Amino acid sequence: MIKPVPDRDSAEWWERAARHEFVVQACGTCGTLRFPARAYCARCRGREWHWREVAPAGRVVSWIVNHQPFLPDAPTPYTVVMVRLTDAPACVMVGNWHGPAEPVADQPVTVSYTYVDERLSLINWEPA
Amino acid sequence: MRGFCDRTAVAGVGYTAFSRNSWVSTLTLACEAVLAALDDAGLTPDDVDGIATHRVGDSAAPSVVGPALGIDAPAWYLDQFGGGSVSHAVIGQAALAVAAGVAETVVCYRAVNARSEFRMGGTGRGVPVSPEVQYQAPYGYTAPPQQYAMYARAHMLKYGTKAEHFGQLAVTQRANAVKNPRALMRAPITLDDYLASRWIAEPFRLLDCCLETDGACAVVVTTAERARDLRRPPVLISAAAWGGGDSFLSGREPADPTVTSAAELAPRLYAMAGAGPEDVDVAELYDCFTYSVIVQLEDYGFCAKGEGGPFVASGATAPGGALPVNTHGGFLSEGYVHGVNHIAEAVSQLRGDAGDRQVPGAEVALSTAQPGYILPATSALILRRG
Repeated sequence: MIKPVPDRDSAEWWERAARHEFVVQACGTCGTLRFPARAYCARCRGREWHWREVAPAGRVVSWIVNHQPFLPDAPTPYTVVMVRLTDAPACVMVGNWHGPAEPVADQPVTVSYTYVDERLSLINWEPA
Repeated sequence: MRGFCDRTAVAGVGYTAFSRNSWVSTLTLACEAVLAALDDAGLTPDDVDGIATHRVGDSAAPSVVGPALGIDAPAWYLDQFGGGSVSHAVIGQAALAVAAGVAETVVCYRAVNARSEFRMGGTGRGVPVSPEVQYQAPYGYTAPPQQYAMYARAHMLKYGTKAEHFGQLAVTQRANAVKNPRALMRAPITLDDYLASRWIAEPFRLLDCCLETDGACAVVVTTAERARDLRRPPVLISAAAWGGGDSFLSGREPADPTVTSAAELAPRLYAMAGAGPEDVDVAELYDCFTYSVIVQLEDYGFCAKGEGGPFVASGATAPGGALPVNTHGGFLSEGYVHGVNHIAEAVSQLRGDAGDRQVPGAEVALSTAQPGYILPATSALILRRG
């Protein structure tokens, strides 16, 4: 597994994920929710913001079943799913699929955390 | 906005051989392609006062290639960061510099050892410096075929696009490559061959994916006036456009994963050319993957949204069809020089020197860059016989 390399905007988001807090940023001026983390709101250009806890839930936008061993230590096949968040429909995340069967379009899903170490948990997805 | 429509021209194009291992440096490849393009135009490095490339830390810089060919003090240069999204932006910016009188003769090149030294998809390093990589790489989502497969499935789900549509495109482009002596893949394939090729990342099979190629390609841009006095028939740059769009992870508006940045760019491009999709005789469309062509056929207005698959299946993109596409075989079958070999093929078609691949009477060509799924930017050119 390639560990994420947080940047100065995203470090706290990863720290919160490690505590299983599922958050996005909320603009302090216009309320727009955004992910990934960054300082300015792209809609109103406001710089005030705070973390907003949102439901760790969404719906399946698309998915792939990966067969080619692009990464030497990742057993294949594995499924990567793209999810649109229920509480923040402008926000999309990708993660691995922890379902018993292949995903289906628009399937409701919920977060399935994968603990790596005390500083890192990955956000994966399973059927709601 | 007619911009610098028809004020500049492509005066020459040049290639190295395409291979899986060039056994030489990207500097050597760049010099060979630049010299070939200048020779095609009837020029020498002494005539050049501008030099440009695009790269992602994988190739020789203009500041190295210029002096290596005795182009020591160019009036203008460009070292554009980026891969396939910016290939056509480099030509557009060179044309802009020439139209503005900053330089008179600019040579643009792209030189890669993309199979033997720096593989785009096989390293897990993702797109350099993109902040998105941290949210993707931990999940084994690092390579362009994975990302394009994700969007291709979204298109299949929304519009009913089928594997057979992707396959028909691969088969047609291979048939074009059979007629192209430069092409790396010249053995014909069938739809059954396509369907039997191994999975890379479902819904993509091996034959949905472009080649990884060592090679270089170069293009000479000068004024339309000067190009008329040179060795080859001039090909006018009727329009160039480059620009952005939403990234799926940009945290902006809810994006539709079946629409690319090309949909935003196309109206500006056509307006500058004073032309529309109905005027285009041949299209060389960025085909990093089969789906990339299908979505661009829609977003550049050749068919209705969602109809790209059936459009290909109808034979419209084959030789003799309404819009012959990727007449050289494209990245799927000729080779992959990150956009520049598409521009060179468009030039060849408009000069009428494409041999067995020639689209009869081709007057107007569209050539495009990566439509913006991986980095939220794309670029394109409309070229016209001078």
